Amino acid sequence: MNIALKCDKITMKFGGLTAVNEFSAEIREHMIFGLIGPNGAGKTTAFNVITGNLKPTSGDVNFFGKSIVGLKPYKIVSMGMARTFQNIRLFSNLTVLENILTGFHHKLQYNIVDTVLRTPRYYKHEKEMRNTARELLKSVGLLDKADLKASGLPYGERREVEIARALATGPKLLLLDEPAAGMNPQETLNLMYFIQEVKESFNLTVFLIEHDMKFVMNLCETIAVLDHGVKIAEGNPEEIQKNPDVIRAYLGDIDA
Amino acid sequence: MNKKTILTVLSVVLLFLFLWYGDGHLSTYAMRIWEEVGIFLMLAASYNLINGVTGQFSLEPNGFVAIGAYVTAILILTPAQKEAMFIITPMVPWLQNLHMSFFPALIIGGLVTAFVGFLLGFPVFRVRGDYLAIVTLGFGLTIRVVSNNTVPITNGALGLKGLPTYTTIWWCWGWAVFAMIVIMRMVNSEFGRAMKAVRDDEDAAIAMGINTFWIKMTAFITAAFFEGVGGGLLASLITIISPTMFTFFLTFELLIIIVVGGLGSMTGTALATIVVIWGSEILRVVEQPMDIFGLHIPGIPGMRMVVFSVLLILIMIFAREGIMGQKEFSWDSLFNFFKKNKVAQK
Ligand SMILES: Nc1ncnc2c1ncn2[C@@H]1O[C@H](COP(=O)(O)OP(=O)(O)O)[C@@H](O)[C@H]1O
Ligand SMILES: [Mg+2]
Repeated sequence: MNIALKCDKITMKFGGLTAVNEFSAEIREHMIFGLIGPNGAGKTTAFNVITGNLKPTSGDVNFFGKSIVGLKPYKIVSMGMARTFQNIRLFSNLTVLENILTGFHHKLQYNIVDTVLRTPRYYKHEKEMRNTARELLKSVGLLDKADLKASGLPYGERREVEIARALATGPKLLLLDEPAAGMNPQETLNLMYFIQEVKESFNLTVFLIEHDMKFVMNLCETIAVLDHGVKIAEGNPEEIQKNPDVIRAYLGDIDA
Repeated sequence: MNKKTILTVLSVVLLFLFLWYGDGHLSTYAMRIWEEVGIFLMLAASYNLINGVTGQFSLEPNGFVAIGAYVTAILILTPAQKEAMFIITPMVPWLQNLHMSFFPALIIGGLVTAFVGFLLGFPVFRVRGDYLAIVTLGFGLTIRVVSNNTVPITNGALGLKGLPTYTTIWWCWGWAVFAMIVIMRMVNSEFGRAMKAVRDDEDAAIAMGINTFWIKMTAFITAAFFEGVGGGLLASLITIISPTMFTFFLTFELLIIIVVGGLGSMTGTALATIVVIWGSEILRVVEQPMDIFGLHIPGIPGMRMVVFSVLLILIMIFAREGIMGQKEFSWDSLFNFFKKNKVAQK
């Protein structure tokens, strides 16, 4: 099995605060890997380091065998890594279709001169991109929403559009930051099926952060637990559920 | 060509027919205002590209228009004119001997301004944060000081006079339509979508693989080019330029136009340009001495600025979206409007 992503002792310090402390993990291709932990544990920060938004204080990130530390985020996207955000971040004034289209930007095949002169190349690729975007929306069941403004959709669908938009970049690895946050149980269940389907049909590796225990336990093969920036456990759902350190990290507040 | 393209072409033809008719029948004064409307349309559309479409709050127009105006003016003045005009310090010889016709002078004015836009944008867009407004505001003030002090190039406070009057209604509207086509094509492409993505959420745009630095640069440099050309057109229209001519009021006027028209809407900008430029002419009344109910009010220069400020505040409070919001006029929406009305009548 190929290793899709390897984090090697990544540490991220903000001034005196160590948000992530020597975090290591190996994510095999085609698996769903979960990262859990209390609020402020450093999960999102770990994502930001992996996607190139933050440069780690130390440590290395390896993506399909290549070190990607120090590369610009758009470069990492073009290598096949896509993400969503904890608080949904769609382009609210663009339509759903236009949101999807932005995902093709990094492999755009016409230039600014084609754009201004409206050359045959412009028309050809613009049409191709629109068709591909519609196909993508169809495959995730959102085609009827294509021409609606993104800001007008219900919460659950906005999340699905955000994932579809990430898929448009053509990723091999998809990072999802708390995809079920703010969803009701029904929406959460739908999202679970959605992620599973998408993972199969797009042949993805998925790395997700989640708060909802049931969600993670049902979806992920392997789970890592982060507490105060330190990885305190890793294993399959049963192992994690039984791990005393994990129980303490999650329930510790109750004793206090 | 489909039906909508034909309609668009037809309306541009109609516009030029109107201008052609106006050229023969309207007063010189009215035509002069229509010339200004053309130039301001180009300036406002450019300004809207960086502010409204890309969402980067910037205050560059007066500085950039000044650069375009000076470059074009220096290029279209004859060597003899320049020799006669530079009475304090003679002009730099190679500049004095440089002379060309209007069109290449405008293009060079635009390119020089675009290059300045590049130099200014490069460091500013490298970092995140709202530095653009303060940098461009400072730049506008700097240009004024520089043009005042580089006497061998700009003739300092004396300015440049007697520029040939090349600017006609056709130059103004030819450029206006050309700029609108270029800018709207840009907006309606993947580049435009990326610009709007940067405006709506820069982090998400980065996460989509958009090189946000170059997208902002593209918008800014394009705006700079047309603002430079607009400066050249203004210079030859007014025939005199001096360091104090392109003040912040110009930027403020353009800001009002794009807010009235709707940030990000080019067709809204076109409507708003006509409304604001003509409105600004009509408002000259408030700067004249008046007698109201026996009360004598002396002329107050700058009163229009006050009226404009109040207008801007009112728009911010009551009509934040402007005339068009972020929407564009489209033939489809017009057809739909009439269809709806027909259904309603039945
Ligand atoms: N850009 C930043 N600058 C300073 N501190 C930050 C920054 N991002 C996150 N932090 C801090 O790092 C810690 C971990 O945050 P985060 O990764 O968002 O946690 P989680 O996603 O696990 O809830 C928090 O204490 C947070 O305040
Ligand atoms: Mg988080």
